[in-house]
Amino acid sequence: MNKLPTSSSTGWLNKVPEVALSFWIIKIMSTTVGETGADFLAVNAGWGQGVTSSVMATLLAVALFTQLRTRRYTPWIYWLTVVLVSVVGTQITDLLTDGLGVSLYASTSVFAAVLAAIFFIWYRIERTLSIHDIVTRRRELFYWAAILCTFALGTAAGDLATEALGLGFTWGALAFGALIGVTYAAWRMGGNAVLTFWIGYILTRPFGAALGDLLTQAKTYGGLGMGAMWTSALFLSVIVILVAVAQIGMNGKRSAQVAA
Amino acid sequence: MLKQHSITRPVVAVSAAVLLALAAGCSKPADQNSASAASAATMQTTTPSQGTAASKLGDLSAFHSIATDVAAIVDKGDLPAAKARIKDLEIAWDSAEAGLKPRAADDWHVLDKAIDKSLAALRAGTPSQADSKAAMAALLKTFDTLEGK
Repeated sequence: MNKLPTSSSTGWLNKVPEVALSFWIIKIMSTTVGETGADFLAVNAGWGQGVTSSVMATLLAVALFTQLRTRRYTPWIYWLTVVLVSVVGTQITDLLTDGLGVSLYASTSVFAAVLAAIFFIWYRIERTLSIHDIVTRRRELFYWAAILCTFALGTAAGDLATEALGLGFTWGALAFGALIGVTYAAWRMGGNAVLTFWIGYILTRPFGAALGDLLTQAKTYGGLGMGAMWTSALFLSVIVILVAVAQIGMNGKRSAQVAA
Repeated sequence: MLKQHSITRPVVAVSAAVLLALAAGCSKPADQNSASAASAATMQTTTPSQGTAASKLGDLSAFHSIATDVAAIVDKGDLPAAKARIKDLEIAWDSAEAGLKPRAADDWHVLDKAIDKSLAALRAGTPSQADSKAAMAALLKTFDTLEGK
């Protein structure tokens, strides 16, 4: 019988974080921050979509390269990569929708199909989709391909809900939040862990976007009127605090292991 | 489970609670007391308007007035100044996207394209007076059409 690679056999430790509440909070906030950051560069700083996209794609390549080279989960590199994947995934969908006029129905369906294909191939080759054992380069590549696809899919699905249903950000935050809750409940009641994780992961993209809009949009439109700058500052602070706590904890663990 | 989670959990719980409290306390469909609108018109609509000048997108007067400004500057022949002023429109329009688009996505796209055309005209390598004027005229016409004039 095939012995599946685990950390003891490869000498790697799991390259991705354990899925606790802080994971989801950082994930949701990093979505918003990535988007407002890219938007600021494209519009306010006047870089334009083309230049901003190229710069972000380059930064992603560098971050991903760095992430792939680490031997264990390193919080600041991992989350920086997630933020950049979020931005680039969003920009891919925006390029298709705004630049090439692809319908959101089409992009949502295609990205869903591509994601299913990624999982199919991943499972065929690795025999496991567990995110607790991302201990080989190949698995990690599958993981990041899936993550990128979830951001593109989440963007398309969220935009589709806005345009086809006229779903504003308040109802959007409630609806996607509720769907995440249902997914979580399904998991707790014995649902497939891999399936519920990825469904939840996809849903956090439109949820994060709606939550960000709820804070940034002017009160005239039903938002809290905090504006992009303050919202980003708030979210970025929370991210930095949580990632720092994780990183410090990780460093502490590592020195304890070395000392032992 | 691990040491870092004992610090993380309260931090996380507090952040989440703060955000939820903010959201719950301030979530109203339209805030009548808002002083944040740049324009003098404070009318807001959360439903399609009936028998008023507002569009399906709601009150566009703030954007419309910047566009009128830009058109006037273009008419005076000062294209660099027009390019600077239209950036105000771009920023205002972009920051209101999430609030406006859900109200009438098709109308939003129509106006967004018209604004994009004006931006492109004024940001061309060598902007032409004729193109800029035409783009601005088309943009103002789009505003009028959407506002039911």
